[in-house]
Amino acid sequence: MEDYNIKTDTAFAIQPDEATDKLKGALLKGIQRSCYVYRVDCGGCNGCEIEIFAAITPIFDAERFGIKVVSSPRHADVLVYTGAVTRSMRVPALRAYHAAPNPKVCVAYGACGCSGGIFHDLYCVWGGADKILPIDMYIPGCPPTPLATVHGFAVALGLLKQKMQMVHHVQGEDEHSQLLFPEVPLELRVEVERESRRMAGYWAGRNIAHTFLGLIKERDSKEAIADVDAYLKGQDDPRLTEIVNRLEEIFLSKNA
Amino acid sequence: MPMLKLIKEVLRVGNATVPYPFVKPDLVPGFRGKPEYDPIQCIACAACVIACPPNALNMETDLEAGMRTWSIYYGRCIFCARCEEVCPTGAIHLGDDFELASFSRDDLTVRADFRLASCTQCGAYFASAKSLDRVLALLDQAGLPPESAEDRKALIKMCPECRRKTDLPRVKVIVQEAFDGRL
Repeated sequence: MEDYNIKTDTAFAIQPDEATDKLKGALLKGIQRSCYVYRVDCGGCNGCEIEIFAAITPIFDAERFGIKVVSSPRHADVLVYTGAVTRSMRVPALRAYHAAPNPKVCVAYGACGCSGGIFHDLYCVWGGADKILPIDMYIPGCPPTPLATVHGFAVALGLLKQKMQMVHHVQGEDEHSQLLFPEVPLELRVEVERESRRMAGYWAGRNIAHTFLGLIKERDSKEAIADVDAYLKGQDDPRLTEIVNRLEEIFLSKNA
Repeated sequence: MPMLKLIKEVLRVGNATVPYPFVKPDLVPGFRGKPEYDPIQCIACAACVIACPPNALNMETDLEAGMRTWSIYYGRCIFCARCEEVCPTGAIHLGDDFELASFSRDDLTVRADFRLASCTQCGAYFASAKSLDRVLALLDQAGLPPESAEDRKALIKMCPECRRKTDLPRVKVIVQEAFDGRL
């Protein structure tokens, strides 16, 4: 993709030679466990670091797979790059790379490490570790949860299979999007959604409105209200009750 | 004896480790995982693209070929669910899949190509065909008066420029009537 949003400009990245690639293949195939990880923070917000440390606690326990975090790149098999790679962290990142013995696996960790994340178009960042280094594994997430971290390392070491695949959809001949609540009058739907979003905030408001509209559909107002009240009783949430009661008022005023 | 005490304590507390990946983990309600995209429901309106804070969502319009391409790069997504909250058709929502690790950036990409609709007057491409379909369906749902429905629909199938040109003489008539020919 040529556009600036999904930059594939890795012209400045280090290219490992063939012999190193071969060795790396042996590392990935032959060892599969007991790898030492060194973590390089290239200007991240520390969210990723917190999740990496959560991943090595007893709850998630990455050491089950022999993954151990070490404090020197000289001991490392795997280098984990977090952060959007700021200008001033480029040289330290490269030094860590050169300090690690071959063969080594480089992992881009988090949205920033994979592509620069929300900082991708800042003047002071390189926008992802793959702009300066040969990256073998991408672990997206902002930050990746400890479970995503464990999964990422397991995939990198060949213990699990990669789940993601490229998808390319082309619009079919007779492809139409469905209206969301075709049986609810448009005017009522718009008003319910607006009021719900006004009271509950955008994302929650939308969800509440859609649950409400799903419950009322086009049925008789008494029957619908009984259904909504049963739902509210099940939820037992005063804030939700307040909002849904207001939506009920709108529904009844439109149906009167 | 302290060793025995320790063993007793260990037996009492049990194993705290989540047995992931051998067991499916319990995720909290409202967990924001991978954005799941339904291209059938998408109308290529670009609301999500405008809302996306890190520009993980992207849209390109090719006016020559009459195609519009929607794309997401999961490597840049920050899982904020803004695309979900602005989507008018429910084509994108955050699921509970967090297993996104991948060896190449291509595998983190989803793309969808949509056709553009051309103006009934001048033939220029002006909006995605599916969004036009949807507007017409919504007009039907809203219930236009039957005498003006066909007229409205014909206007909507034109590009903004032609719509203005077609509408202007009628506006002129309305204004002249309102001012009783004094203009």
